[in-house]
Amino acid sequence: MLAEQPDQVTIHIDGEPRQVPARELLIKAAEDTGTYIPRFCWHPRMKPVGMCRMCLVEVETPRGKMLTTSCTMPVNEGMVVDTQSDVVTKAQEGILEFLLINHPLDCPVCDRGGECPLQDQTMAYGPGESRFVEEKRHFEKPIEISDVVLLDRERCILCARCTRFSDEVSGDPLIEFIERGGNTQVLTFPDEPFASYFSGNTVQICPVGALTAKPYRFRARPWDLEAVESVSLVDTVHSKVSVQSSQNEIVRINGVDNDPTNHGWLSDKDRFIYEYLHGKERLSVPLIRKDYGLAEASWGDALDLVAERLGSFRGDAVAGLGGAQGTNEEAYAFSKFLRTCIVTPHVDAQMGDGLDPQLLAGVTNRATIDDVDRAAAILLWAGDLKEELPVLYLRVRRAARELGAKLVVVHPRRTGLDDVARHKITYRPGEGPDVLRKLAAGADGYADVLDTLSSGPVVAIVGRTGLSEDGRLAESVAAFVSGMDEARVLPIVRRANTYGALDMGLAPTLLPGRVAIDDAAGREALEAVWGPLPDGTGRGATEILQGLVDGELGALVLYGADPVRDHPDPTLARQALKSAEFVVSLDLFLSDSAAMADVVLPVEGFAETEGTATNLEGRVQKVNQLLPGPGQTRQAWTVLDELARRMGAQLGAQTVESLAKEIATVAPAYGGVTWDRLDWGDGRSGMRLPTEAGSQPLQYAPLDTGLLAGGERLALHYARVLFDDGVRNRMAPSLARLQPEPFVALHPRDAGAFAVSAGDVVRVVTEHGAVELPVRIDPTLAEGAAYVPANLAATAVLGAAPSVTIEPSAGDGG
Amino acid sequence: MTAPLILTQRMVDHRTDSHTISRYEASGGYDALRRALDMPPEDVAAAVKASNIRGRGGAGFPTGVKWGFLAPAYPRYLVINGDESEPGTFKDRQLLERDPHQLVEGVIISSVALGVHHAFIYIRGEYPRPARRVQRAIDEAYQKGYLGKDILGSGFDLDVTVHLGGGAYICGEETALLNSLEGRRGEPRIKPPFPAVEGLYAKPTIVNNVETISNVPWMILNGGEAYAHIGPEKSSGTRLFSLSGHLKKPGNYEIVMGMSWRELIYEVGGGIKDDRKLKCWIPGGASAPWFVPDLHLDVPVTIDDTGQHGSMLGSGAVVAMDESTNVVAAAHRIVRFFAHESCGQCTPCREGTTWLERMLWRIMNGHGRPMDLDMLLDVCDNISPGLRWPPAQTTICPLGPSAVSPIRSIMTHFRDEIEAMIPTAEGVASEVVRVG
Amino acid sequence: MSERQLDKIVASWSPANRERAATLLATYPEKRSAVMPLLYLAALEHGHVVDAAMHEVAELTGLTPAQVQSVASFYTMYKRADVGRYLISVCTSISCYLMGGDEVLAAIEDATRTLDGETSDDGVFSVEHVECIGACGGAPAVQVNYELVEGLHPDKALTMCQWLKKAKPEVVMGDELQEKFGDQISFDWGPAEPEGAVAPVPAFGPYGSAAAGEA
Ligand SMILES: Cc1cc2nc3c(=O)[nH]c(=O)nc-3n(C[C@H](O)[C@H](O)[C@H](O)COP(=O)(O)O)c2cc1C
Ligand code: SF4
Ligand code: FES
Repeated sequence: MLAEQPDQVTIHIDGEPRQVPARELLIKAAEDTGTYIPRFCWHPRMKPVGMCRMCLVEVETPRGKMLTTSCTMPVNEGMVVDTQSDVVTKAQEGILEFLLINHPLDCPVCDRGGECPLQDQTMAYGPGESRFVEEKRHFEKPIEISDVVLLDRERCILCARCTRFSDEVSGDPLIEFIERGGNTQVLTFPDEPFASYFSGNTVQICPVGALTAKPYRFRARPWDLEAVESVSLVDTVHSKVSVQSSQNEIVRINGVDNDPTNHGWLSDKDRFIYEYLHGKERLSVPLIRKDYGLAEASWGDALDLVAERLGSFRGDAVAGLGGAQGTNEEAYAFSKFLRTCIVTPHVDAQMGDGLDPQLLAGVTNRATIDDVDRAAAILLWAGDLKEELPVLYLRVRRAARELGAKLVVVHPRRTGLDDVARHKITYRPGEGPDVLRKLAAGADGYADVLDTLSSGPVVAIVGRTGLSEDGRLAESVAAFVSGMDEARVLPIVRRANTYGALDMGLAPTLLPGRVAIDDAAGREALEAVWGPLPDGTGRGATEILQGLVDGELGALVLYGADPVRDHPDPTLARQALKSAEFVVSLDLFLSDSAAMADVVLPVEGFAETEGTATNLEGRVQKVNQLLPGPGQTRQAWTVLDELARRMGAQLGAQTVESLAKEIATVAPAYGGVTWDRLDWGDGRSGMRLPTEAGSQPLQYAPLDTGLLAGGERLALHYARVLFDDGVRNRMAPSLARLQPEPFVALHPRDAGAFAVSAGDVVRVVTEHGAVELPVRIDPTLAEGAAYVPANLAATAVLGAAPSVTIEPSAGDGG
Repeated sequence: MTAPLILTQRMVDHRTDSHTISRYEASGGYDALRRALDMPPEDVAAAVKASNIRGRGGAGFPTGVKWGFLAPAYPRYLVINGDESEPGTFKDRQLLERDPHQLVEGVIISSVALGVHHAFIYIRGEYPRPARRVQRAIDEAYQKGYLGKDILGSGFDLDVTVHLGGGAYICGEETALLNSLEGRRGEPRIKPPFPAVEGLYAKPTIVNNVETISNVPWMILNGGEAYAHIGPEKSSGTRLFSLSGHLKKPGNYEIVMGMSWRELIYEVGGGIKDDRKLKCWIPGGASAPWFVPDLHLDVPVTIDDTGQHGSMLGSGAVVAMDESTNVVAAAHRIVRFFAHESCGQCTPCREGTTWLERMLWRIMNGHGRPMDLDMLLDVCDNISPGLRWPPAQTTICPLGPSAVSPIRSIMTHFRDEIEAMIPTAEGVASEVVRVG
Repeated sequence: MSERQLDKIVASWSPANRERAATLLATYPEKRSAVMPLLYLAALEHGHVVDAAMHEVAELTGLTPAQVQSVASFYTMYKRADVGRYLISVCTSISCYLMGGDEVLAAIEDATRTLDGETSDDGVFSVEHVECIGACGGAPAVQVNYELVEGLHPDKALTMCQWLKKAKPEVVMGDELQEKFGDQISFDWGPAEPEGAVAPVPAFGPYGSAAAGEA
């Protein structure tokens, strides 16, 4: 037995022998083998500190039994442990009493009441009557330490979970212990709020009600919450969450520890965005355009009108955009509707802001998130993960900080990971191809970087560093890294369920299940179920918009798509929607694009529909339903099915699950994926594609795209921030408040050249528009570039133009 | 009675300039270093091991054994513990102030033995004068080539940095000291790993007390065995005792261990002021349980005898209290100290010491309840289960249990005095006293 | 960090202290170790450890201000509120307590019209009781700007305060105080000490101090 598993040891807990992994912490070994040892400060995802002392046990030593904290004690062969002895019990009761003497015991008005370890353990181990007659410690009642978090120091038991999280895990130590001894407390620095993208995690791991979240405060009591497990569709990491509602309103989202993905952590965006679902601007009735604007209509009239108008075009004169905001099943329905009912090849889930769909869906040596833990080196040549994929940022941070991966960051300016990077290369947007050439050749002092990258298993995380950067650069980088041994590549895009949508064939060059559009066999197999497909490769988002402007296309079907805000060329998007003869939009909100449609159909969204979603590493997970959508909203797939019937076709689906079953049969990569396995079976932490029952016909090896450096000056670095003006952020009050002030950043030398200094207001002009912005001086920014945060209320007009000009503010005397 | 003087001979002979390099060199200073540089490093370490010296910082751990635990990784560090803050203790201050070169030479020799190239001397912030003296000694040593690159042409390099504390007794605990030296809060670390394996900057580190290392030059000149032969086998060498409290002749005395407490108090310390009666004394710093005349005057002053009788020599601080002493108030003073100095990271110490202090205060102020006495002991028991000696602990470090010593002492030897403070009969005062 | 950056961050500091800061940052294997010394320098510059100072130290050492505050507030000698010109620290720990430390404290509170833990309105004195300062053999003991006076009995404590208020010494010299007001000492102090304290910050060269006259 032991011979087979050299990594197992036998220990004795309360007289019972237990097989546990060698060097595992005793507290965990005990828990995993059925003995729960009480604790407050220990957290499985953070280094132990042994501070609260609640987890004391007795361990046999040569010098007799010794009290020790099980959270700091690694097990070793033959260890004999007593978790029940009188000494242990008295010690634990003593600790609880110590924790309670200064605790306000205001449980009835505490958000934690009912789910509070201190409360529970007092029941279980605690003393009854208090012997403490002295006066309790007093602090000012809850103080706002950030826009979303409140701190009540009287309730705090000083377990250091919040301080460790922000230092060790998220890397922004803004909340710390101050004073010492009996005066010790956690606090932020005066005028330096706990402004962390991850602050919500501290609320979740606080064992008492010391840290509370404003959005949840007093909203509900734990015992009247309904909850389902699901994944967050805020970005493509798909962190596991528990969605919790009270009276048909989501009141809280907590992280759930999924080993391959989020380790229990969430970004504040994952955690608080749910507010948009209940916003007053949420659509609940179909709208039809009248000469005076959009007017409420019945579903019947709206559907008849859409079916009639769409039917009036030749199939390939119609295009479809979107499908990335919902589930795989909904994307599949959209894909099937467009290709078999409308019969058009012009479909795209991306808004011209992503990467080549075949690279995203079919890359051969795709990395998993876990691969970064095993990597000797990580090349990050993509957007700032902290802004775009915060939870992936946490994983990469951990790999670099705790697990010894050597990180190389290539980006036009500072990123959230620079402080843990071995090498940082800063370059002006447009010059990427040159940098890549030099790096590959180890030239110009890049030799040591190349060494680092060649030092063992390497993972390359590639994507667009900013929206104005050509997506082909990422593929060239992927190609370069793929050339090294033990190399894996993670091509990243940010939006919700983009990978699932592409896997459902929502791209001009893809068919469902990771099949290339020109794969004859795959096409045949699909036609056997779907019937005849439109021939030829369709248009991508940009060509679709162009086609509408040129009149080559007549109608557009938008599903959860907002090209006006998300396409790099807002001018083109606007013109396209204007010139289109007919536009229908299935959405939750009247987005800038939906507002230009002829018909708007209100559909259900996150937590209102059931299905699956596929994340950036190709992991399929279950998305669950908790509540009905508001008003007359309908599930998107039924809307599409209704339309199909009215147009004399049909999607052939009775239920969403029947769609899921159909996907498993027609989408090769999804063979064997069933809801049961994902909900209850071996797929609970997700199933990696292609499944063992499935296959991935499209084997896409990244190629050097031959992209050449562009000489733009002043190059625009137009990159996303976490809390931008995207419609969902805007509709979630707690997050809308966090949208940063707009600005334009310049390198000190460029600022000098323009004779502007920090705070000056200048006019920033691109081919799409102009806006007045205050200047910030940023020495971390590449020279010859201007950085503007993308898609803020004020900056959206600029679009992702390759270059900008800086002009004196109109305000200035001139 | 105090011959030979290993640590203090120079300052006794040369009252005005024992701290200067000229005097130090004139009286054989740095000869030991020259000799050590000619020896294989392991022989230097062997001499220290042979001396059987036990640490003078409080724990009394054999220095040679500790050195033996040093993990084979580089860089490695030597850190001198000059945080001396245990109430009653002022011996290191004299060594730092009056013979800094003796310490510096000890540091250099030890660094040779340990393969250390950067040593730190951590001196408590309230000791600016001793720190200045040491800094000057170091500067002089650099000028003379005893420090820096290629020391005395031996090819051996060493830098020494003086680091001042910020006012925190707990930084005397070696791992708290290392955190403090790293620019962190002075919170003790969980052991293992011990400093010898993962210390300063997570590198192998030896932490030794000022007095311990000040003995090293003598050991090299006279041999470790010679040192081992002074005094009782398990308490070899001479030792500095800080005598204070109600004594006629308070001060630091370098003595050979083994004499009785009676001799130490009545001969060395000159007896009790105004010839009052001795009521009790603290044998080894505020953390040590108290001794009383009836039971302990004839106990030999050695590390082990003192231990067997339920206390410790600790930091060598002897505090005598005469018959007039209010022992409850005295105990409260010591508990107040530990409550004030608790780093606050672990629950039983942070909450327990504060609670004990406030209970005692309440009792002293006439608001004690009959139940309070057993409660005092029970709360003590939750910090130091079983109230054994040496103490068990529910805490991370021994500070918490240290606060228990004075309470156990008065409850054992003077229970009647504290009982007398409890309002008897009817009106059991339960009014709360706020402690400022 | 480059000298230029450093000079930018602590532009307000005296050139001498800027130089000291640079040396300190270079002295330790890791910058963070310089936090405590730099806090002393900052206290010299700003009178006490003001928030701005913690920002400066944070920038110099690559920490967040919250981290610096966390360290500074752990220790008793980094004063984060105004301190008088003369900080009088009276030991009331066990040995001094036995020898009348409490009475000394009371005498000093009277003489300075300043309560334990407070600063006099004229900003001349701050008074605090402290735990053992390692002068137990010379109890009762007191420190003025961390310079030691041993065997300071209540009556002399009073005259010492009056003298400080009148003489307003630029540099507080332990020897001088001891000779004028002190009595029983823990041990021979040896020869005259050339350096003293120019502020309520421990007078130690590398962290900024001054010899008599140098002030
Ligand atoms: C609460 C506490 C305070 C301590 N204070 C000191 C001190 O002030 N000076 C000292 O040298 N050792 C002190 N020690 C002991 C040190 O942890 C360590 O054992 C010692 O410095 C090792 O040096 P040594 O072996 O030469 O004695 C203290 C220990 C504890 C638990
Ligand atoms: S026992 Fe006290 S001093 Fe020691 S670690 Fe715990 S809280 Fe800190
Ligand atoms: S859980 Fe082990 S000490 Fe807190």
